[in-house]
Amino acid sequence: MKGKQGFVLILLIIIPVFISGCWDSIELNKLSIISGLGWDVDADTGQVTLTFQSIIPSETKGAAGSSGDGGQKRGNPLHTIQLDSSTGSSAYDALNRYSQHSSRRTFYQHTQLYILGRSAAEQGIYPFLDSIARNPINRPNVLMVVSEKKARDILSIQDGMESIQAMGMAAEIKLSAEYSQYPVVTYLEFAQRLLSETTAPLAPMVGIIEQAGPEGDSVKKTRINGTAVFKGDKMIGQLNEDESRGLLWAINKIKKGFLVIPGANLEIVTAKSKIIPELQDEKIKITIAIDEESNLLEYDGHREISSDLLQDLEKGQAREIERQVMAAVEKSQALNADVFGFGDTVHRKYKKEWPVLKARWEDIYPYIEVVVKVKTHVNEIGEINKALMRD
Amino acid sequence: MPGFLFKKLHFKKILNHEQKKSAGQYSSSVSLSQNLEENLRVLREALGSSSDVIIRDMKISSDSNIDAAVVYIDGLVDRALLNHDILRPLMFNLQLIKDNLSHNHKSLIDYIKSSVLTVGQITVVQDIDRVIARVLTGHTAILAEGATRALLIDAKGWETRRIEEPKNELSIRGSKESFTETLRTNTALLRRKIRDPRLTFESLQIGERSKTDVSIAYVQGITPDNLIEEIKQRLQRIDNDIILDVSYLEQFIEDSPSSLFPTVGSSERPDVVAARILESRAAILVDGSPMALTVPFLFIEGFQNPDDYYARPFFAALVRWVRLLGYLLSIYLPGIFVSLKTFHPELFPTQLLVSVAAAREGLPLPVVLEALLMLLLFEILREAGLRMPRSLGQAVSIVGALVIGQAAVSAGLVGAPMVIVIATTAIASFLVILFAEPGALYRFIMTLAGGLLGLFGIVLVSIEMLSHLASLRSLGVAYLSPVTPLNIRGLRDTFIRAPLWAMDSRPASLDSPNTRRQSSGQMPRPPKSSSQQGDTQ
Repeated sequence: MKGKQGFVLILLIIIPVFISGCWDSIELNKLSIISGLGWDVDADTGQVTLTFQSIIPSETKGAAGSSGDGGQKRGNPLHTIQLDSSTGSSAYDALNRYSQHSSRRTFYQHTQLYILGRSAAEQGIYPFLDSIARNPINRPNVLMVVSEKKARDILSIQDGMESIQAMGMAAEIKLSAEYSQYPVVTYLEFAQRLLSETTAPLAPMVGIIEQAGPEGDSVKKTRINGTAVFKGDKMIGQLNEDESRGLLWAINKIKKGFLVIPGANLEIVTAKSKIIPELQDEKIKITIAIDEESNLLEYDGHREISSDLLQDLEKGQAREIERQVMAAVEKSQALNADVFGFGDTVHRKYKKEWPVLKARWEDIYPYIEVVVKVKTHVNEIGEINKALMRD
Repeated sequence: MPGFLFKKLHFKKILNHEQKKSAGQYSSSVSLSQNLEENLRVLREALGSSSDVIIRDMKISSDSNIDAAVVYIDGLVDRALLNHDILRPLMFNLQLIKDNLSHNHKSLIDYIKSSVLTVGQITVVQDIDRVIARVLTGHTAILAEGATRALLIDAKGWETRRIEEPKNELSIRGSKESFTETLRTNTALLRRKIRDPRLTFESLQIGERSKTDVSIAYVQGITPDNLIEEIKQRLQRIDNDIILDVSYLEQFIEDSPSSLFPTVGSSERPDVVAARILESRAAILVDGSPMALTVPFLFIEGFQNPDDYYARPFFAALVRWVRLLGYLLSIYLPGIFVSLKTFHPELFPTQLLVSVAAAREGLPLPVVLEALLMLLLFEILREAGLRMPRSLGQAVSIVGALVIGQAAVSAGLVGAPMVIVIATTAIASFLVILFAEPGALYRFIMTLAGGLLGLFGIVLVSIEMLSHLASLRSLGVAYLSPVTPLNIRGLRDTFIRAPLWAMDSRPASLDSPNTRRQSSGQMPRPPKSSSQQGDTQ
């Protein structure tokens, strides 16, 4: 009897080990790691095309075995990724069609980038956003960008030093936050803006430029060159370089970067901004207060550094910042898209009035009076006081 | 499950025990007779016809008319001592003394003891069994015609190993002596460290055939009495035919024989054992074993090292953390690596995942098997390195390094990251030698659990391991104390090692009747002012 019990006990321990069968275990070499995902929609048919950029691990350095073979091929960026597209009536249709003819299971947890084709963005990306949010395997911190043309075009360009293109581009976008030129938007931030009732979602835009290559040929490169402005899930316009900077000033996203004013170039050290709404006689007035400090990097004039000159520089900076912000304000009012989140600040401050305002926000927004108040300060002037050359 | 297996084994043990009992060897105790011939006959019968048993007949007393015999075992006695201080006085000095003692046989033995023999330790016995037993341990027996008592002289002397440097527990600054196989030497080593009159060595003989001398060392008034009683009880319960090593005793007296973790400590260093005795532990020494057991044994002791106390406290704390971390690594690393690779690749940083995935391409075995194979290979190498003749060591290390390190990777059988993981694990497993055995077992279990159930499995095994550790006791002391049950004062010698002047009390969990170890406030500091310098006393 005792032996029997022991036997049953052993069975109870051993059997689950096998029937549990590692149900969601999967070997790494049976995975296709998707580094970037592109979303295009055919304007006429509405067919969805998903572009998968997956990593081919055996082509990256550090692959097992074979230290001798393919030395040339290895590390050649074009071989480390595989680009494949599949078309279907919806996101999951396209995905399933792709998975069916893939030798490996797709793995999205390490996806770096979602690239939206411009025409797809203009038609509305809600189906895409939904399919991403609904599946727990997708991470909310994936960067979103809008391609000037098709998403696939961007994913197929090898640019930069990274062997895996999407990872390289993601690194580039993250690093660009240091220059505070275009917004860096993750899926989560995009969705949060979408959830807000009035704020317009944003995404940086990526275009393709051609440069002369080392052998006289032309080499395609990707460039971030604007900010896509959405209204709801549809892209309705874009901000250029100045307007994008102005937007970042207003929404307190300037970390570091450079500011060019006539005759001088300054390095932004710190910048803070605040949006202060005011409701007077049913009219909304927004004050954007910006506080900025910078170092002088370059001064092309011949004046000696003096408090006068510094004041001039500070004024010049303030003018330039105000110009950028106002450019962004004007563009957004022309698009009637609340990229700054003015609506949210008003909501927060005037809770009672908000329901009425919200209903008419479309009509109110283009006519909001915006005042920009800029305080600037030049901290350091560099190693020299006097100009090297006098007039 | 181990418990279940042990129950089965236990049943068998009882059977063996019964069989052995029935084959008892000596008849009940017999007193010495007055007839020397008769006594010698019994001795010959008992000791058999072994060539190393020497029975030296002689005639003693002034008129050479009393028969006597000296019985000893050749090789166990110091011949010089025997010849000069036993045989010579017996046969020569006795001759010189003119008196009538020869007529009073009863006091002859006493006379020999008190006035003739010039050796230190002599006992008088009446039992022939005792004579036999003592002769077998190296005593020399003197029997005389007409005397019902025999003299047992401690003239032991045999070839022994010198006191050498510790081989397994190395220390940079500590003493460089280690225990030897001779019990007396070992007790002397301890006595030289603790010159307290209350340092006690209680002797026992264990082993029905081996009659091995066992000594319990403790300091009266520091080690709790009930602990000593418990140890004695446990030792006296042992009914084994041979005790070859101190680890034999360990297996008979430990609290949790089915645990993977040792609940009895051991050390080959006299300084460590002396320190533990003064921490109110008891030590058990066994003749023939260069190790001493110390009980109770706490988990944290596995991570303590003599150098912790010889080095300065800050570095000691660092090293202790390294040891803890290394031990955790040695248990968990392969398991976590396997489970990340098979179940949770999303937990790798992307760049690392790409490298790991690249190394994984084209490997024939699943990750679990790969890991288990490498672990097994390492265990094989380790065991081979340990057991093989020293002259072959180089061959094995070359083959091992080449096979594991290079050939397997370049042949595409094993991934390079796996080699790194196993190698790291292997090195880390040597950080805490005392727990190397449970570490190796848990390493296999963790790897298997990680490969079959992912991190879930690892968490399951960890819970099992932790609750098991928390349930263990060593001679009634909770194994994980002073961490759990928590004892704040005791923590001064766990994750950190407090300065020696701050450790004023003995470990509280050991329940010593004398917890005070030194006066407090001994932190070295400059005198407050020169005028008060003399007043501090």
